[in-house]
Amino acid sequence: MAMKGNITLLTILFILCFSCRNSSTKETEFVFPEADSIPQSEAEKLSPEAIEDISRNISSPVEIANLLQMLEVPFSSQYLASSIDANKENTTFDKALKLGILGADLGYLNMYEKTGSSLDLLSSIRKLAEDIRVGQFFDFEMIKRLSQNRSSLDSLLYISIDSYEQIDSYLRTNGRGQLSALMIIGVWIEGQYLATQVVDKYPDKILSDRIGEQKIILNDLLLLITPFCNNSPEFSSLCKDLYALKDNYRDIRIIYTQGEPVASEKEGGLVITQTETSIVEMSEAQLKGLIEITSEIRNRLILND
Amino acid sequence: MKRFLTIISLLLYTGFILTGQSSDPFVSKCVMNTGNEAKYLKDFRIQLGKAAEQNDLRYKANMSLWKNTKYRFTMCSAEDSKGQLILSIKDDANKVILSSYDKKTGKTYPFVDFVCNKSGIYKLNYDFTDGQQGSGVGVVSMVK
Repeated sequence: MAMKGNITLLTILFILCFSCRNSSTKETEFVFPEADSIPQSEAEKLSPEAIEDISRNISSPVEIANLLQMLEVPFSSQYLASSIDANKENTTFDKALKLGILGADLGYLNMYEKTGSSLDLLSSIRKLAEDIRVGQFFDFEMIKRLSQNRSSLDSLLYISIDSYEQIDSYLRTNGRGQLSALMIIGVWIEGQYLATQVVDKYPDKILSDRIGEQKIILNDLLLLITPFCNNSPEFSSLCKDLYALKDNYRDIRIIYTQGEPVASEKEGGLVITQTETSIVEMSEAQLKGLIEITSEIRNRLILND
Repeated sequence: MKRFLTIISLLLYTGFILTGQSSDPFVSKCVMNTGNEAKYLKDFRIQLGKAAEQNDLRYKANMSLWKNTKYRFTMCSAEDSKGQLILSIKDDANKVILSSYDKKTGKTYPFVDFVCNKSGIYKLNYDFTDGQQGSGVGVVSMVK
């Protein structure tokens, strides 16, 4: 039996190594496409599948919150977008964007099991979701119940994230892709705000790398929003903000080094450890620039008109 | 006739709302089986017929994975599936990073833990063993 396990493991290692044989041993680097702005026509060409992929690629605020917990960063309600008043939001633009921002806050609260605060937040999310006619995808009673039960964090995360994914999918397939894009951008901006605020207070290489690595996602976000940039002054302003953020990322480098994955077995499952790495080259000044511009954009977005 | 259509529309609408609200029990069960230390991130619901020919794994999706994170990919197949749900992950250079299926021995792993050290967008490819018909769910979680 042990012999069979070893043969299986050796075969997997062989396949993984073989698949790497033709890969270059040189370092590679992530770069933005050359043009300063994404042509409208290119963004409009995106297939529904490509758009779905982009929306799935956005770094989850739950992952940022998980990283903060891993780094033993204490919870702080100061990072939350508490000034958002769901009753004062007038336009569908604001409602969709803030639905995303509050979704990220919900992820942060859930991960830190701050259930008391999440109940208030849930009421705002409910109001915004109902206002843009997607309230049916949010099982508020279930989320409320799970929030009060500390032993069911995984169910809470599943129901909350799944609700947002259903909303996103419904909006995209019902000709309201602009609202889906706003919601996704709202989630991302708030996650980025959380990470940059924390790193400002608790400097940490792992966290600043995660912020620098968001360069990988930013171009996809721009692809998502570009078809709507001329829809209204609000959209134009948001596009301008994201392009300004892109400018701040331009000289931050992400370098990749090569390596072979290492496989082992544990408790009936397979464990793969990647030895390839990504390295972020970002100066203090560049990080400072990202902290400032993210805060400026996010704080402007959460203002009630 | 008009009344009949109205009732049908109402039933469809109500049905839609109910569908929108309920989370799939099969997915929930799979999420619950990922382990106590796992924190849910995403799921992929896969339903495939028998493949005409066996080439690449057929269900494809992209996902960003981040350095300094340990991900758990759990595969659950529905009881009536002819094959087992399997996963292969490739990086942006199309290099195979992991596979939950050993073609030579036929062994499938129910979960794969991936210690990610390179942030980027990865290609997740799912299928059922031997291109069989099946339905299942692939759950992605974070573990300590």
